[in-house]
Amino acid sequence: MDLDISGAKVYFTIPTDIPILGDLQISETIVVSWIVMLLITGLCIWLTHDLKVENISKRQALAEMLVEQANKFVVGNMGEKFRHMIPFVAALFVTSVVSNLISLIGLRSPTADLTTEAAWAVVVFIMITAQKIKTGGFGGYLKGFTTPIAIMTPFNVLSELATPISMACRHFGNILSGVVINGLIYGALAVASSALLGLLPGVLGNVLSQIPILDVGIPAVLSVYFDWFSGFMQAFIFCMLTVMYIANAAEE
Amino acid sequence: MQVQELVGIVPWTFIAQICNLFLQVYLIKRFLFKPINNILAKRKEMADAQIQDAVKAREEAEAMKSQYEQDMIQAKNKANEIVVSAQKTATAQSEELLREASRQAAAMKNKAEADIEQEKRKAVNEIKDEIGGMAMEIAGKVIEREISEEDHAKLIDDFIANVGETS
Repeated sequence: MDLDISGAKVYFTIPTDIPILGDLQISETIVVSWIVMLLITGLCIWLTHDLKVENISKRQALAEMLVEQANKFVVGNMGEKFRHMIPFVAALFVTSVVSNLISLIGLRSPTADLTTEAAWAVVVFIMITAQKIKTGGFGGYLKGFTTPIAIMTPFNVLSELATPISMACRHFGNILSGVVINGLIYGALAVASSALLGLLPGVLGNVLSQIPILDVGIPAVLSVYFDWFSGFMQAFIFCMLTVMYIANAAEE
Repeated sequence: MQVQELVGIVPWTFIAQICNLFLQVYLIKRFLFKPINNILAKRKEMADAQIQDAVKAREEAEAMKSQYEQDMIQAKNKANEIVVSAQKTATAQSEELLREASRQAAAMKNKAEADIEQEKRKAVNEIKDEIGGMAMEIAGKVIEREISEEDHAKLIDDFIANVGETS
């Protein structure tokens, strides 16, 4: 039994041949990202159609609750002056959650590709840096690296760079580990059911052993942790870190 | 089919994902936050308007209440005034009536007295006449002679004067 865990499939390549960027590859990651975006936008439109001021439906109550939660999360952690960050954090969270959970319907999660998390982490890193420069000025930002003493500068630079890398790798590692473990479990259970049903005598055993019966149901239990819990947790951690880093950058 | 590396960064995908993220931010802002925040603001506005209406209604009610109380006090005062003036009028009228009655009674008494006086005088005159006649007759009989006109009149007058004194 071969088990192949690989990166995203490339559906087709547009040869652009720009240096560094290379050819434009329309990969599984990009296509599933679009599906995720369509899903989220569709959900938003469905949630917010036919809004009323009084006597609201359950659907509207849910939409209002989600907005209130996002407001509370951002304003509670960052303060009133970061109200403009609410849509960004909400988009980051919901994209992350839906991307993580889309693996449940058999698609490859865009978050199982380090590129996705790296893109997000770089955006967040730029926001943190911009906030730091806005707070202390460019000189103050550079000076911040020499604290508490000048000799610490290389370590400070390193720790600054570690922020986006650790954010991206933490999220990616968790999701990839889910993908790998799910792959292993599916493979292992297929082998197990084939071995188990192969014990049956004659043709019956030969036919049934081709069907991985144990793959039905058992992986779902494990996916409660590896997909559902991990998916929500990592999205939450990513957003929490974003909010915290930017709020810290605004202090001093 | 070509497959990308399991762990690696693909430049085009990287750019695409950044664009996707910002597109998603816009979409979620446009389709979730904008309508919901609009509705929340509208609801807040409505609640504020209702509270203001309630405050206004209360103020109006209080103004009406004070107006009503004032009116009540005025009405009470007026009623008191009316009662007092009525009492005064009644007293005055009754006094007037009494006075009138006593005056009338006095007038009636006077008139009655005058009538009595007149009647008395009339009776006296009648008696005088009668007595005069009688005296004439008696005198004629007594002296059996015709008295002269002058004696006659003088005699009567004397007699009457005597009668008047005695009566």
